[in-house]
Formats: sequence, structure tokens, C-alpha cells
Amino acid sequence: MSSDRHTRRRVAATVLVMVIIVSAFVVRLVDIQVVRAADLATEAEARRSIPQTLQGLRGDIVDRNGVALADSVYRYDITVSPRFVGDYTLVNRDTGEREKHSVWDALTAIAELTDTEPLDLLERIEAALEANPDSDHAYLVRRVPTDVFQQVRDLRIPWVYSERMAARTYPNGQVAGNLVGFLGTDGPLTGLERRLDDCLAAVDGSSTFERGADGVRLPGSTVVHQEPIDGGTLHMTIDSDVQWFAQQALAEQAAAVGADWATAMVVRVRDGHIIAAADWPTVDPNDVNSTQPDNLGSRIFSWPYEPGSTMKSISIAAMLDAGVTTPGERIGVPARYDTINGWQIRDAWAHDGLKLTTAGILMNSSNVGTSLLGERLTFAQREQYFRDFGFGAPTAVSFLGEESGIVRPADSIDGHGAYMQLFGQSISVTSAQMAQAYQAIANGGVMQPLTLVTGCERADEVTHLPEAEGTRVISQQAANQTVQILESVVTEGFVGPQLTVPGYRVAAKTGTAEVPVNGVYTSERIVSVAGLAPAENPEFVVIVTLGKPDTMKVAAAAAPPFQQIMTQVLKTFRVAPSTQPPPRLPTTW
Amino acid sequence: MSALAQPLGAPAAPGVAPERRRRRLRPVEVTPTREQRRQRPRALAATIAVSGVFAILLAQLMLSIQLSEGAYRITAAEGQLVELSRSSQVLSENLARLESPQNLAAQAESLGMVVNSSSAYLRLADAAVLGTPVAASAQSGVLDGRDSNVGNVLLADVPLVVPASAGEALGVAPTPSSAGPLASAEEPTGPEPLPAPITQ
Repeated sequence: MSSDRHTRRRVAATVLVMVIIVSAFVVRLVDIQVVRAADLATEAEARRSIPQTLQGLRGDIVDRNGVALADSVYRYDITVSPRFVGDYTLVNRDTGEREKHSVWDALTAIAELTDTEPLDLLERIEAALEANPDSDHAYLVRRVPTDVFQQVRDLRIPWVYSERMAARTYPNGQVAGNLVGFLGTDGPLTGLERRLDDCLAAVDGSSTFERGADGVRLPGSTVVHQEPIDGGTLHMTIDSDVQWFAQQALAEQAAAVGADWATAMVVRVRDGHIIAAADWPTVDPNDVNSTQPDNLGSRIFSWPYEPGSTMKSISIAAMLDAGVTTPGERIGVPARYDTINGWQIRDAWAHDGLKLTTAGILMNSSNVGTSLLGERLTFAQREQYFRDFGFGAPTAVSFLGEESGIVRPADSIDGHGAYMQLFGQSISVTSAQMAQAYQAIANGGVMQPLTLVTGCERADEVTHLPEAEGTRVISQQAANQTVQILESVVTEGFVGPQLTVPGYRVAAKTGTAEVPVNGVYTSERIVSVAGLAPAENPEFVVIVTLGKPDTMKVAAAAAPPFQQIMTQVLKTFRVAPSTQPPPRLPTTW
Repeated sequence: MSALAQPLGAPAAPGVAPERRRRRLRPVEVTPTREQRRQRPRALAATIAVSGVFAILLAQLMLSIQLSEGAYRITAAEGQLVELSRSSQVLSENLARLESPQNLAAQAESLGMVVNSSSAYLRLADAAVLGTPVAASAQSGVLDGRDSNVGNVLLADVPLVVPASAGEALGVAPTPSSAGPLASAEEPTGPEPLPAPITQ
């Protein structure tokens, strides 16, 4: 039928048209895949995926009240794409006109904002182009703060980019700078930043984005492959206000007497928390380069010294605990004490013999009396008590670079040194160890390990360092008796008036230690005051040490900072003033 | 072709003479039945359907316009968020360094504040006074016009709230001198202290 033929013709025509269209596509396909493959591949190089590191933020270090001592912030690196540097036009947003800007205008504007020289910037661009004419990346200014970056970005220069970097800032400056430490170019260098880096360190993530041939970042092409993980927050036991006060008081006095170095520690008795650990001179982690290398760490933990008479409290406490004496025992103290090989021990003041009780021996700080009483303990017992009190081993803080000091073993110590160590010569300790020992005496004989860090707080979990058990070093009675004797140092001793805190009962011990150089004792001194308050129920231990003062070489030099710091600590923590008068122990007979 | 419509010229009845057929030609009227009339498509329905389709298309268009407008607004808001978080960063950095104890002490003392060095407490439960209160003197400050010995380089360009007169510390020293005597040990002749409140 004719209609059939018409239909067949129409169908054939449609099929023909379709074949033509399809073959056009096939030709194009072959053209792209086979003929021009190489050219197109090179062109596609220009449109490549740029990998990008997503920086995680390093964790903060905070004090016991949440004040940030070390903080992570963002800084910006201003970069250029040197091969695209050239004059450009911008539409002025106010007038709507197109304005031309030259390269020099742009660099001058940037230099003004970032406090650099435009010639330097131009040199950097030219150096990059010399090294590689197709250079795509060169740094103009590094580590610019956020507000400057915003101003540079608002210049809208098309060939200027920015990279965001994480940086570290220490808003409180020198406060706790010795403890917190600082970062170098590769990572943390000192202090808690380095010691507890696995709490603070962040894990970087990665992402890629695509960039066109003209350098424009393609929107929506960012793919995050791995999210960054921020570091955890490190919680310290330090109170930054008390730390500042301690540093201020210490620095004033140390500078006034011309000391080479000084330390002050405040420890809370009941749990061994370090409330303040002040060093002088100390470092501002924002500005490390202007500090001498010796002052970059913390002498409290890393400079052992012979402590002098402050050790007598520990010796007498040990003797009271061993039961070889009582506070009221009457001792006839001679003018000197002979040890071995004709060596003698003398007191710091000349006398012909005194009638002192044991309490009086400690109150007057008599070396001869202490040695006389020390006969009643064997060398092995003495060494054992020293080690029980924590000397000769690092404290529980295990600060970076902490030293253990030296406690000479009983089987190798000579007969003279074995007596000298009872009053703090011929034995070397750190300020931290001394604070720990006084904390044990103040806490009824139970030593709580010193704690500087309470835990690490991450986004998903909080790690509290376990509260360590206290260890009993001496009996409660021995500790109480020692504290009572130390109170008489303040009420009756001649440095006492400088140590009193109005309204509170304070117990303290002074120390003036001779400094040995190459085994020979020189005229240099290390003076210290170690004390606790309130004496009826001690809550805080404060130890102040001044190393090698020039003008005032007696322990009274360390008294003013001790009194100021103790007053401030008792006020800050609202300790109730003492209501009972101090007991009077007999010191002479 | 309707069964009832008959082609013109077809014999009306078989057997009728052709002459009669030519004379009796009359137009045939095609009249639909009632059922056919009902089945006819209505203009109204058609209009409604077509306009309904257009309305749906229009609604789709409006929705997608709204969506893209919303997407633009989201992008703009995200941009604002980034800018605001940057500003908040700048401000919180500033706040952190202004809150440092060195700066607070220096600023407070430049305003004439002093520290109460005696320890006296008021127990609110029974209004008991613990300790012996002693009035603070004008020289009870911690710094007393001297440089703070605890430096902070971040405060190098932070001025005191009340500018100091000549001879006094201008602010917190970025790096205090590490050894040597105090900067100035004389009595501060600073600005007028805050007037003391009159209490009964």
C-alpha cells in the first residue's frame, strides 16, 4: 500500500538523521581521545588539584582558675604568585570608577600595613622570578596578625594571597614563663610545652582544592580528606595571680640585694599542689631571644644546691620520729664539735657553750647542737630519712631537666660529711625537694607528691592524673612537735619580727648556706627561708631562696619576700586567722 | 465515520430512480447524540488543565529562585561568620593580654588604687570580723609607681589609663632589667588618687 511506502520512507529518513548525529559525536570523540590527547593532557596539568594541610590547633595551657597561660592563635602569611604580578585595575567601591594601580602602589600599601619596606618585598618577588620564571608562590610577609591581614585583603590585589598558620602566644608574659616553656621553629623546646607535648600537640588534617589555569580557586571544589584534631587543654595547679605576686616580690628583693638567682615556691599542704613556682631571672616565652640561656628553664627543679640550716628541721623531725630525743630534752651544747681528722663544726655565732633544749637547738639553729643530737642516729638511718623525705630523687613533678640532687650513701660518706649533711651542707637538693619535705612536716608527717599538672582535657575525653597516695614519712606527733618548734623561730628568734604575718601563727626556719666551689667553701652564700602557716593547722608552705646575694648575706635577706608571699597566699585563699596564741616551748634551761 | 452520516449522493433508499435522487439532495446535518455531546472535551476543563500545568511550572520556578536566593544568602552569611570570627579572635587576643596581672596592677595603681595588706575578713553568716582590720595607706600598692618586675612584651604598646607624670613607669616594661637596683625608690608623686568615699 502507498501508505506503507510512505511510512518506510519516513522511518528511513529518521534513522539516517540519527546516524548522522551519532557519527558526528563519534568523530568528536575520536578527535578528543586519540588525536588531541597529548595536548589536552598538558592543558589539564594547569588545572590541578592543590593539596592543602588543615592545621590543628595546639592545646592551651591553663592555670587552676582557667586563665590561659599559653594560647593558640592564627597568624597569616602574605604570599604572592610572582608570575601574575603586574599592574591591575580595580573598581573603586565608593565612586564606581575603574582605577589603575601599579605594582609599586600595591607593595607600598602592603609595606605600610605590615611595617616592612616596599623594596624588600619587590626584591623577594624578583628573586623568586629569577629562580623560576613560572614561580607561583613566594612569601611577602610572614606571621601577620589577623587585623593586619584583613586590611591587606581589603586592598583586593589580585595576585596577593594568604595562608593561615597556627601560632602560639603567651598572654601573661613572664608569669609562669619558667614552667610553661616555649616553642622553637620545629616544636616545643622547654618546660611543660615539651614535657607534655603529647597532650598539647594537634594532628593536622588534609584537604584538596582545584585551581584553574589563571590561578583562581574553583569554588565548591574543596574536599576534606581528614579533619584536623586539636590538641588537649593542659590544666596546671598554678594560680597565675599568686605566681605573678611571687615573681614580683622575689624580683624586687633579689635585685635589691644583688642576688644571682632566686626561687620562691608555694605549695598547698593537703594535696601537694604547687600554687606558685617563681624563678628569677625568668623568661618571657613571647620573647625568648632577649633572655640569657641560663634563665630559660626553671632553677626550682634543675639547680641543686646545698640548702644550709633549713635542713635542720628535717633532721630534728627525723630524730623526734626515731624517738632518740624529745623537744624538751636538755642538752649542754659545747662551743665546737670535733668530727674526724681534726675537723670541727662550729656555730654561726661565737659562744662558750650553751644550755639548750632540743627545741632551742633548732630555734637557734645551732650546728654543734644538731651534730651532738645526730650522734644518736646511725649513718644508715640518716640516709634513710633523707631519702624518705624525697631527697636524692626527682620529685613527682618530673619536670623537664629536673635534677635529683645528691644524698651521699651511708657506706661511702666520711665522718665529717655525715654530720654536715644534718645541717644542710655536704648534701645537695633542689627547691622543689625542699618544698616537698616541708610539706610532709606540715601535713602531719604524710608526704603528698608534688603536683604541677592535674590533667589533660581533650574534646572527647578528660584525663585526670590520678591523685597519688600520700606516704607517711614521720609520725604525726613528730611532725606536730617540729611545727611547734618552728613556730618559736618566728615568735622568739631574732629574724622573727620580719617573718610575722599579722593575724596568723607562722612557723618558719631560716638558712644561710655556704657555697662550695671545687670542694672549697667560699664566702658566697645561699640564703633561704622555709615556712608554713597557719601553724595550728598548716595549709601552705612557702620557701624563698636567694642565690649568692651581694649586699646582704644573711637569711634576713629572704625574709621580706617570704612574709609578703605568705600574706598574699593566706589572703587569696581566705584562710581564717589564728585565734589561739602560740605555745611557748622551753628553749633553754 | 459515524454510522449515521451518509455521504452525499448516496442513494437514500435502494431502488429509487436517479432523477429523484438528484432533486432530493439536501444537506445532511450531522447531529451528535446526547452521549456524544457529553463526551466532547470541554473548553473550561482544557483551560483549567493547561493553566494548572503552567501554574505548576511557575511554582517550580519560584521555588528554585527562592532556593538559590537562600543559597546566596547562606554563602554571604558564611562569609560574615568567617569575618566575625576573625574579629572575635583579634579582640580576645587583646583581652587576654590586657587581663594579664602585670597590666591590671599597673593600671589599678595608676588610678590610685592600693592593696589592703592586712588580713581581715567579714564572715557574713554572723557578721563577725575575723582578724584586725588596718586601713591601707596611700603607699600600700604593690608596684608603688615602680616598673613591674614581671615583664610582658605583648604590653609594650599598652598605655596606662591615667598617664603617669615624669619619672614614673609609663606602662608595663616589656623586659624589666634583670639585675641591679630598683628603678626608683622614692615616694610616688603620681596623679590624684580617687577621692575616698564618705562612710558612716
